[in-house]
This record gives sequence, C-alpha cells and structure tokens, in this order.
Amino acid sequence: MAFNSFSYFLFLPIVYLVFYFTADRWRWLVLLSASYGFYASFKAPYLLAVLLMVTGISYACGLRIAAQQDEAIRKRWLWIGSFSCVAILALMKYLPLLESRTNSIFGFNNTFNSTLISIGVSYFTFQAISYLADIYLEIEEVPEQHFGRFALYMAFFPKLLQGPIERAGDLLPQLKKPYQCDYNAMRSGMLLFTWGLFKKVVVADRLALYADQVFNNVHDHTGLSLIIGTYAYALQIYFDFSAYTDMARGTGRMFGINLTENFNSPYLATSIADFWRRWHISFSRWILDYIFKPLQMGCRNWGQIGTALALIIAFLVSGIWHGAKWGFIIWGLLHGLYLATSTYYRPYQKRLHKWLGIEKNKWLKWWQVFVTFNLVSFAWVFFRTKNFGDAWYVISKWFHGIKGLWSGLILSQGSYVLVLLIAMLMEVLLVSLLMKPNIIKMINRSAIVRHTVYCLLSIQIILFGVFTLDPKFVYFNF
Amino acid sequence: MTTIEALNQIFCMVFDDDSLQITPDMTANDVDGWDSLSHVNLITTIEARFNLRFTQKELLKQKNVGDLIAEIDRKLAA
Repeated sequence: MAFNSFSYFLFLPIVYLVFYFTADRWRWLVLLSASYGFYASFKAPYLLAVLLMVTGISYACGLRIAAQQDEAIRKRWLWIGSFSCVAILALMKYLPLLESRTNSIFGFNNTFNSTLISIGVSYFTFQAISYLADIYLEIEEVPEQHFGRFALYMAFFPKLLQGPIERAGDLLPQLKKPYQCDYNAMRSGMLLFTWGLFKKVVVADRLALYADQVFNNVHDHTGLSLIIGTYAYALQIYFDFSAYTDMARGTGRMFGINLTENFNSPYLATSIADFWRRWHISFSRWILDYIFKPLQMGCRNWGQIGTALALIIAFLVSGIWHGAKWGFIIWGLLHGLYLATSTYYRPYQKRLHKWLGIEKNKWLKWWQVFVTFNLVSFAWVFFRTKNFGDAWYVISKWFHGIKGLWSGLILSQGSYVLVLLIAMLMEVLLVSLLMKPNIIKMINRSAIVRHTVYCLLSIQIILFGVFTLDPKFVYFNF
Repeated sequence: MTTIEALNQIFCMVFDDDSLQITPDMTANDVDGWDSLSHVNLITTIEARFNLRFTQKELLKQKNVGDLIAEIDRKLAA
C-alpha cells in the first residue's frame, strides 16, 4: 500500500478515527496493529516475520547491553545484535541474487520476487542497529522496557518502508507522550501530505515517464536526449524520495509525531560533502555516525589517508546497502572518491579563492552548485542503468546528436506536451506564491494566498497526476 | 595552565583562529571549520599534547567541549 494509492487514502482516515476514539493507554496498540496491517498489505507474510524477528533481537540485546557493567560483555551483545540484523538484511537483499545464480547453473525456476522481497527491511534493520549502538554508547541511557512501544518504534507505518531512519532519542519519547489533537498540526500534516502527493504524482512520476523511456532503451537515444534523461532522473529521484518523506512526515504530524526531515534542498549544495548533509539526511547521519566515524577514529594515526580510506569504505557500504547490483557499488564508490579527493584539494581550493578574493562571490557559489549537481547526476547514471554496458553507452554518447529526444517526449507525455506547458506556468505561479521552501509555513499565510495554493495543488494533482494501479516509490526497491 | 586553557590553545592552532574562546557547552556547530575532517586533527593533536589515548567509545560519546574536557581530566587523573 503506497502513500499515493487509493487504499491508503481510505486506510489513513480509518486508522486516525480509531486512534482518536481510543483511550490514550491503548493508542500504541492501535498504531502498532495499523503498522503491521499496513506491512501485511504487501502480501508477503515473511516480511512480518522478519520485522518481528529484528524487533525481538534488538529489544532483547538492548536490555542485555544496558543491564551489564562489564565493557567486554556489553560490546559482545552489541556485536551479536548488530551482526544478526546485518545477516538478516544481507540474506533478504542477496537471496534472490544467490538463488538466480544457482538456478541459472542448475536450471531451476526462481521462487523469490526480487523487487518486493526486502521492502522496508533495510530501514528497520538500520534503525535497530542505531538503537543498539546508542544504548552501547550511552547516548540512549535507558532501553525501552515496554515491548509493544518498542515494536511500534520499529514499525510505525509512516516511516516503515522508506524511513526516515529514526534515532531512539527522537522517536521513542514522542510515542510515549499522551496524544492531544492539535488543529494546526492536523492542518500542516494534511498540507505536507498533499504537497508530497503533488511532488510525487505531478512532478516525479511525470519526469519518470521520460527518464524511463531513456534508461529502459538507452540505445534508442543519443546526445541531448541522454543528457535530458540523466537530469530528468536526477530530479525524479529527488522529487520521488522527498515526496515520500513529506507524506510520511505529514501522516506522522496527524498522529502528533514529528519525524526527521530527510532533505534540505540537496541540489543547491555547493560541494559533495554539502550534498550529503542535505540528501537522505537520516541515512547519511547513520553512515557518518556508525561507519565513517569509527573507521576514521580507528585509522586516525594514518593521517589524511586514514580519513580518505574511511570515506571510501563508508560510501561503499552505502552502495552495497542499496542492493545486489554493480551500479550501486560504482555509485557508492564514486561518492567515496569525490569526498576522499576533496580532503586533499579543499584546503588549496579555499586558499586560492581567498587569494583571488572570490570566496564570498555569488557567481562562485552558483558555479559550485552547478558542478556539484553534475557530479551527482553523473553518479546517478550508474545507479539507474540496468548494467555497466548501458551506463558506459550513456556516458560515451552524451555529446553525440539528439536522437530520440522528440519521440521520447511524445511517447512519454503523449498529448500532454501542450498541457505540460500550461502546467509549468501554473508551477511558476505556485512557486512564486510559496517563496519559502518550507511548505508548513503556508498555514500562517493570509486566507487568499493559502486557498490559492490549496486549489492549485489540488487542480494539478487531479489534472496532471500520474495514477497507476500499482503505485511505487523509487526507494521501495532499497 | 588549566585543561580548558591548554585546550583553547589547541583549538586556536587547529582551526587557525587566535580569537577562538572555547566553552564547555560549545559543539561542532559553533566553530567555523569544525567538521569531521578537522575533528580528527583536533583529536590527534590533543592526544599528542596531553600524552593520552582515547578509546573509540570515548570519542564517539563526546557531544561537546565539556565532554572532551571531562574525559581529558579523567584520563590525566587516572
């Protein structure tokens, strides 16, 4: 059940009404049942078993770590818990690959659906490891004793499938708080949800029509068509993923829960390091805190090489986390290399800008934004293409002709080409009305501005939204 | 020289800013240039100056300058 499906549009108000009319001491049970029901809608019962298993392991190991004074035993429980979670994740992610390799040798049929098998697992296993690490490091001083509330922390449906990966200190206290219906939280939650829906069905899914045309048949395209396809995918993945986060945060707000913001205008980043402070923030914080920092500190006597190595390994892990495909590993490796090389040239770059007197120049800033966006888009090519051959074709043909551009537009958008132009005009009006990127602040604007935005959003969702029978978000696959 | 004074000298040197005045509640967000890359220089300089060695857990737990000072004092007293 994706957030942009009709079943979710029914599910959400029903869950809210039951939640609202239930006594406060049982509300966790309503949300927990709803979360497991939500997960069950993917018709893969083993996923529920995996969720329950990861929840049980992290709950028990958390209690064990906190109960021990002996450092060695605490560490042992941390390793047992984390290793079990990683083993479950690896099994879920790489089982279809192993099976298909084995079957291709022995000629058997595949029994696993590789796209659905691990939906959500990457997120809640990472959250479980973060919980155990925070208890071990005493950042989280008291482990959660109530199994039901802990299970809800792991399974809370708005963040179950695609995060944000919530730290225990941020989410658990909110789940224990008595619920108070707040009119403004409801309004801002609904607006955030609608804004996410708009970003998903109007922007991301429409960009996807073109990006899919290009990346599913790369050999039908050359030059400009490939460049536009690459940029279209870069924008698609951002709008798709940030839309999901907005819809998750919007849903959370309705239940009085504030989930972590996952994006902060990442394509306005002025460097790759800056990009990772703005893109998939809950995930990059996880990689930084639990992979990069321990590695960097462990190698601190190696100087700059130690830091560069820690960066490459951390981003390699990030690539592997995305799944069993060489493209993800190359994507992770590229980001690791971007960052590792920047540790060497950045001090000289800063000195050069200072010497030229341009360190505060706005043109320099926009140049850096342009370069960063292109470096990120280049890495997305490996992430999106089906195999290395396709990726190499895209890169090598970027500056050769325009084959496939017009047919791609017509095939993907059909008679919508003209309508899209009108949509773009409305977009300009919408953006100029918003001014500030923070949509939640819209609820404080004057009634005329507010209602114009509400109407524009609704009209565009109805007129230009792409609705399918089986809606999916890009990051469902990871 | 107290720990905080000695530490202040190290901060001025690592972040190349002689006007820097550290306080116990100061975090990486309060110091220009204090990112994960300069942090490793800070830690190795502190370890060399005070002749001590932090464990990984001690380093990962520290949230602000106050935690850092407390850890240095604890190690020097041991």
